[in-house]
Amino acid sequence: MNRTTSRSQFPAWLLLALMIVITGCAKKQPPPPQAPPPPPPAPTASISASPNNIEKGQQTQLSWRTDNATDVSIEGIGAVQPIGSQMVTPEQSTSYRLVAKGPGGQQDATARVTVTQAAPPPVTEQPVTQTDEQWFSQNVRDVYFDYDAAAIRPDAQQAITAAAQALAQKPSFKIMVEGHCDERGSTEYNLALGDERARAVQNALVAAGVNASRIKTTSFGKEKPACTESNESCWQQNRRGHFVLTGK
Amino acid sequence: MSAATIYDHQESWKGPIAASAILHGALFLGAVLTGMLGAGHGESWGGSTAGESAMNATLVSAAVPLPATNAEKENVLANESKGLAESTPAEKTPEPEAIPIPDKTTKLKPEKLPRTPTTEKTKTPPPPSNQVPFGQGGPVSGAYTMFKSTTGTGGMTFGPAGSFGSRYSWYVDTVRRKVSENWLKYEVDPSIGSASRVYLTFDIQRDGTPTNIQISQGSGVPSLDMSAKRALQRIDTFGPLPPDYAGSRVSVEFWFDYKK
Amino acid sequence: MFNRLIVALLLLSAVAVAQEDWIRTGTGLGVEKVRIAVPDFKPTSTEPANAELLRTFNETLFSDLNYAGIFDVVSKSFYPLQTPGFPQEINLDAWGSPPPSASMVAFGNLGKQGDSLQVQGFLFDVKNAASPQVLGKQYREPATTDNARLIAHRFANEIILRLGGGINGIAESKIVFISTRSGAKEVWMMDYDGAGQRQLTSLRSISLSPRLSPDGTRVAFTSFVRGTSDVSMYSLELNRMVTFPRFGGTNVSPAWSPDGKQLAFSSSMRGDPEIFISDANGTDTKRITAFKGSDVSPVFNPKTGSQIAFVSGRTGLPQIYIMEVDGTNLQRLTDTGYAVSPSWSPNGQFLTFAWRRNYGPGAPGGQDIYIMDIANRKWVQLTHGSGINDYPSWAPDGRHIVFESTRGGSTQIWSMLADGSQQRQLTAAGKNQQPNWSFR
Repeated sequence: MNRTTSRSQFPAWLLLALMIVITGCAKKQPPPPQAPPPPPPAPTASISASPNNIEKGQQTQLSWRTDNATDVSIEGIGAVQPIGSQMVTPEQSTSYRLVAKGPGGQQDATARVTVTQAAPPPVTEQPVTQTDEQWFSQNVRDVYFDYDAAAIRPDAQQAITAAAQALAQKPSFKIMVEGHCDERGSTEYNLALGDERARAVQNALVAAGVNASRIKTTSFGKEKPACTESNESCWQQNRRGHFVLTGK
Repeated sequence: MSAATIYDHQESWKGPIAASAILHGALFLGAVLTGMLGAGHGESWGGSTAGESAMNATLVSAAVPLPATNAEKENVLANESKGLAESTPAEKTPEPEAIPIPDKTTKLKPEKLPRTPTTEKTKTPPPPSNQVPFGQGGPVSGAYTMFKSTTGTGGMTFGPAGSFGSRYSWYVDTVRRKVSENWLKYEVDPSIGSASRVYLTFDIQRDGTPTNIQISQGSGVPSLDMSAKRALQRIDTFGPLPPDYAGSRVSVEFWFDYKK
Repeated sequence: MFNRLIVALLLLSAVAVAQEDWIRTGTGLGVEKVRIAVPDFKPTSTEPANAELLRTFNETLFSDLNYAGIFDVVSKSFYPLQTPGFPQEINLDAWGSPPPSASMVAFGNLGKQGDSLQVQGFLFDVKNAASPQVLGKQYREPATTDNARLIAHRFANEIILRLGGGINGIAESKIVFISTRSGAKEVWMMDYDGAGQRQLTSLRSISLSPRLSPDGTRVAFTSFVRGTSDVSMYSLELNRMVTFPRFGGTNVSPAWSPDGKQLAFSSSMRGDPEIFISDANGTDTKRITAFKGSDVSPVFNPKTGSQIAFVSGRTGLPQIYIMEVDGTNLQRLTDTGYAVSPSWSPNGQFLTFAWRRNYGPGAPGGQDIYIMDIANRKWVQLTHGSGINDYPSWAPDGRHIVFESTRGGSTQIWSMLADGSQQRQLTAAGKNQQPNWSFR
């Protein structure tokens, strides 16, 4: 914003001169020189992550320590106390950089956390009961019936044969066969029909070689449905003989 | 069907009967006309709550201790072989009800209204004239009317005022009701169209049990006589005799009028 | 001696004559329902609490008589303006003339005196001006709403007994049933009109098929509390379960003999479900059916105790049968469709049961309540295609039946007259099923 009109040049020169003189005057008396203060100690910083090798989804603990710092922060976290620790759950491998600033300068440190994909399920054995029930429900499957019938139909026979074979592998297993009905029909009669179904399954198992003393039967009629929709597909699911592991 | 009867005893009822007959004839005509003009029916037959269908069940037999509001129901069912041995289709069920109900109901309603003029002689409730609708018209309510117009004390018996029937007319009504409920007309030989009256006598003990049931005058139709006797035999009790009645028992002469 | 004989004869005849009153009546003279008027009772107290008691009393009395099945209760809109409270206050002419045209009037007074409620009730025969009083009763109970209801029930029962030909009224009877409203199927109880619904068992399992004992002290039912179905026993006197032996297999549907000494039930303890009879405490079991095919839902003839009706699937679909208690004289009563849940009428002459006469997917008609005359096998349908109707139970007066129905969308308990009329809903909370009417 220099106005360089010939008219204003004269007052500008005058102003400049004045300014030099004035400032010169102000600085006429510089303070006596002092000894410079000793330089402040430099900040220190250290950070570590424990463990520094984790699976995705796991946590790790960051611990850090700083000295002589007034402004401490960790990248990705923000301002933190000079000394502290924090749990973090990085999604992927991360370097956590600690920056400590102080009057003496700045210091930083880094901790690296390596995140690996989920490890394969440990090969070690699960507790015994869990396996047995899982095995049982996979290998001894429900048997299905026709409407108002307790007769074993071909697909039911296959399921029973497979169940008998499975039970042969676990000779100590004892089972309960529950008979169930769909929601139609009367409460009391369905209790009896469920009982017939359970005993039909029991008889078929015995015929397939399972010792009768291992099998008990009961009926829940229509009181414990597997599903509650009012359509044939759900009704078929409910007309079943269901197996329960009761002893090993 | 049960026909109306007239007492011929003591005073002459001819005048009141004639008047009553005329009025009831008028009523009957009115009822028939209303029926033909399609007055609403079915409402009064129960099922009025909860939106239930107006089709009331007709009793298989009157041994369910509900008042059979018209004996004709029994007949209808007796004729309808609803038994399982027969192959009658289930649709039969609505049929018999459809026939009597319009008759009954349409006559029920108009009966109540015109009652007003006739009750100047009587202070009675209209319902007894339900029996009129069997197509007879006339004298049933004649009996009732007469009975009304004696001393106003009511009672179906003959005999001096203060006798059991005049004092405890409600008990007499109960007896009549209960015997009628238990009379299964389909026990009578179906080939019989009508018969003369069968008279039964029995005693009612203090606790209400009927004893000493006898046919005092037969109708000539054995199955009818037997059906009457069986009606009584079905009854355990009429209810205890009124507590302030001094006697130890009461004797009943009961007649059965059979008309199909 | 001869004179004495004559005197004796004369005396005898005099006595005989004096004792023998005659009634002469016959058919065709009208078997109409008794037309009864039930005006509100007159208050004899001005205490503010009295109004509530009076209102409860009036509503209960009117409802009891209206539902009794033997009265034509005159509508209150026809009543004359008087509210008689005492015999000298009633004007019989006004009640007997149109519009009310009543044959009987039940009236009286009610008042809270201190802590007790005092009620006087009268039943007057309108046609009998000379001596109209048929009943005069006095009641006094601690003043609570429940007692106002109780007194009304008692007075109604008196009227029903007197005018209904010696059959006791049901106004104080109870119904046990199953309800899910607490979260699990438990045994509940209520008054016959749906009042006072209360929970009996808290087993948090599955309870089914409750049946009251004839003396009203115990409820037998089916329980899954031990994992499989057992006949179980609840004591109403002790308010808790009492022991009952366990049998193997599926044990369901217990029923009481009318003398209360025996139970019949269905058990698969020996193979397929058969009917067994045991003592009321579960000992001395005897099997009485022996045919392949489920036999279930036994019920004793309440009049004789010597017959049992039950359901059997021996021919395929379930049908109703009757037999002697020793298993002989087996007779089949239904021959088609799907028939279950029999209940015997108190006079021993009828069965009521649930029937699906046309059976199979897409078949017409639904499952309805029927009654059948056992002697001639004639039947009548009482409900007509509204929802699925099941588990009827006959009232002790032989005039009412209680049952379960899905007609409103969820399974609820309904009652009706035994001719199918006056059907009314008794429960609403949760799902309610399998009602059983008390023996008294």
